[in-house]
Amino acid sequence: MEAAPASRGAAVRGIVVVGLNHRSAPVEVREQIAFPNGRLEAALRRLLELEGVSEAAILSTCNRVDVVACGSDPDHVGGLLPGFLAREHGVPEPVIAGHLYTHAGREAVRHLFRVAASLDSMVVGEPQILGQMKEQYAVAAAAGASGQILHRCFHKSFSVAKRIRSETAIAEKGVSVGSAAVELARGIFDRFDDKAALLLGAGTMAELTARQLLAQGVGSLMVANRTFDRAIAVARDLGGMPVPWERMTRYLPLADLVVAAAGGDEFLIRPPAVEEAMRERRHRPMFLIDLAVPRALDPGLNGLDNVYVYDIDDLDAVVADNRGARTREAAKAEVIVDTEVEAFWHWFTSLEAVPTIVALREKLDDIRRRELERSLVALGPVDARQRAVIERLTQTIVNKILHAPLATLREHRADPAEAFYIDAARRLFRLGSDPGDDEDS
Amino acid sequence: MTIELLFLRLAIALYLAGTLAALVGIAVRQDLPRTLLPRLLWAGFGVHAVSILVRSWTAGHIAVTTFDEALSFLALTLVAVFLIVHVRRPLVALGAVVSPLAFGLTLAADAVYRGARPLPPVLDSAWLPVHVVLSFLGDAVFALAFSASLLYLLQERRLKTRRGRGVLRFLPSLETLDRLNYACLVWGLILLTLGIMSGIVWAHTAWGRFWSSDPKLVFSLVTWAIYVVLLQGRMTAGWRGRWAATLTIAGFAVIVVSLIGVNVLQLGQHGKAF
Repeated sequence: MEAAPASRGAAVRGIVVVGLNHRSAPVEVREQIAFPNGRLEAALRRLLELEGVSEAAILSTCNRVDVVACGSDPDHVGGLLPGFLAREHGVPEPVIAGHLYTHAGREAVRHLFRVAASLDSMVVGEPQILGQMKEQYAVAAAAGASGQILHRCFHKSFSVAKRIRSETAIAEKGVSVGSAAVELARGIFDRFDDKAALLLGAGTMAELTARQLLAQGVGSLMVANRTFDRAIAVARDLGGMPVPWERMTRYLPLADLVVAAAGGDEFLIRPPAVEEAMRERRHRPMFLIDLAVPRALDPGLNGLDNVYVYDIDDLDAVVADNRGARTREAAKAEVIVDTEVEAFWHWFTSLEAVPTIVALREKLDDIRRRELERSLVALGPVDARQRAVIERLTQTIVNKILHAPLATLREHRADPAEAFYIDAARRLFRLGSDPGDDEDS
Repeated sequence: MTIELLFLRLAIALYLAGTLAALVGIAVRQDLPRTLLPRLLWAGFGVHAVSILVRSWTAGHIAVTTFDEALSFLALTLVAVFLIVHVRRPLVALGAVVSPLAFGLTLAADAVYRGARPLPPVLDSAWLPVHVVLSFLGDAVFALAFSASLLYLLQERRLKTRRGRGVLRFLPSLETLDRLNYACLVWGLILLTLGIMSGIVWAHTAWGRFWSSDPKLVFSLVTWAIYVVLLQGRMTAGWRGRWAATLTIAGFAVIVVSLIGVNVLQLGQHGKAF
């Protein structure tokens, strides 16, 4: 475990994350230590009762559990967290210990940024994790578990995620079968609002794909299913028109997109039916997607002019391609994470008392010297003794003003209120402002 | 170097830059080359137009009477037609075909560059600009239809073979290309028809006959027939897609053969005039 590096001899304060994800732990372990939403608050309270923990937050989804804690001794706090997780879920600590990772200091910050940006997700670039993280952080904030450091850290992770989303193409390409179908259809059709789709089979897969097509703006939908009742139900659900199964070829000429998701012993649609339909629709292109295994559409259909047939393997290839594209984009995202972690860490270490005291002194001394020069010029000729008196005067005023705030800062060194006072001092005197950061002003 | 040649070479450079911008634009899918493309072509169009205007002013008539002038003018109209389409529907892939065409045509014009030649007095008439501008605009529109058809065949092949998920996947959709092909077909036919008619009228006023044996006229009528058949097929039989694209390319091949053949072999009145 890497501890937060002590900075310029000031108190070591740290942030630490202990958790597991889809890579470190199988689902049987993950499901055992997941926190149901309703239990989050109570768990946070118990977490704060641990010795040395000053701030805490818990992130729990079906793919990961992360316990985030701040304390003056991150090694110590990090050591307590596995036991906490085990007690919370009534599992023996050794069962989960091997699946847990621990990140401390800068690495903990990086971890949170990467999780928020969906770089650590099972499907890189998926958008849900950010929403879950925001919700669960809100619980921690409402319970008073998070303080100034986690507040800043989480909000920064949200803005980093936003930045990555807008500056890279990490979430641009769809990685579902439905979005792959839409992507392929874009090679054929310019617009979808004047197109009609025909669904053959009304199972879950067909319904999902139809939803994707409708989300892309497909104008109308026809649903055929072996049991007509199901066709009616799905059609009503999706705002489409049910079509009798036996007469599906009659509706082929109307269909620009055909989604076949009903298996059978033989092909549902053969070339002659489509040839007939193409004549009737004056050879406007037809796009057929075969989601069924074994295939429902005769592959020979692809040989017809203006007819394009794709099967589940083709769609999977597109999905795999897009996953690859996301991985490449993830490399760009990591660079953004790196710079943002550095910026955050700069702020974090500035929370140490010593640099703040130095910066505060320098700032006031700077003001003093500048004003002194101006006054001396305005005064005209003064002798050395007079000059020394004036200089001493200014020096004394500055020292007296500084005395109380510096004493307060020293007084709270290494106690939980330290960060608060340091941050207050930095803000009041506008010391070394953190550029590009206005999320939590 | 004369001013017109300087501007022509400037235009050549800009068309080359446009070609590169369009190619990069399809390859990397970023905004910069995509916004750069129309700007480069507008700039190229501007200096190119100045070059032709200067030459026309020097010659005392519209500069389309020699072979190099014809190539240069065809490039100018092609870029103009593309830019008009681009305003309504930006298609970088189309730019990737049109820009190198414009580059090649202007480069060829530069290579066979000869100074202006005096016009035979019998041809010096108000019909010259009318006939020439209509004909070249028609050719340019068909060149655009050719470009769209080329892209159509590429895209269709990619979709049929279910391969080529590389650069080719950024081609415009078949629907877009087919619609553009149709629009170009209609406009090209209108312009070609007017071009032929104005030529016939002009020939009548110049020589008192209708130029019936001029090879250029024969080629033009063949082109016209191909496109009329295609339009008829599209409107009544629902021809579209690959077949329409192939016929469009065939029609354009006749245009190219007539442009090159007639002028290089110096056949008929058009051959002599250039």
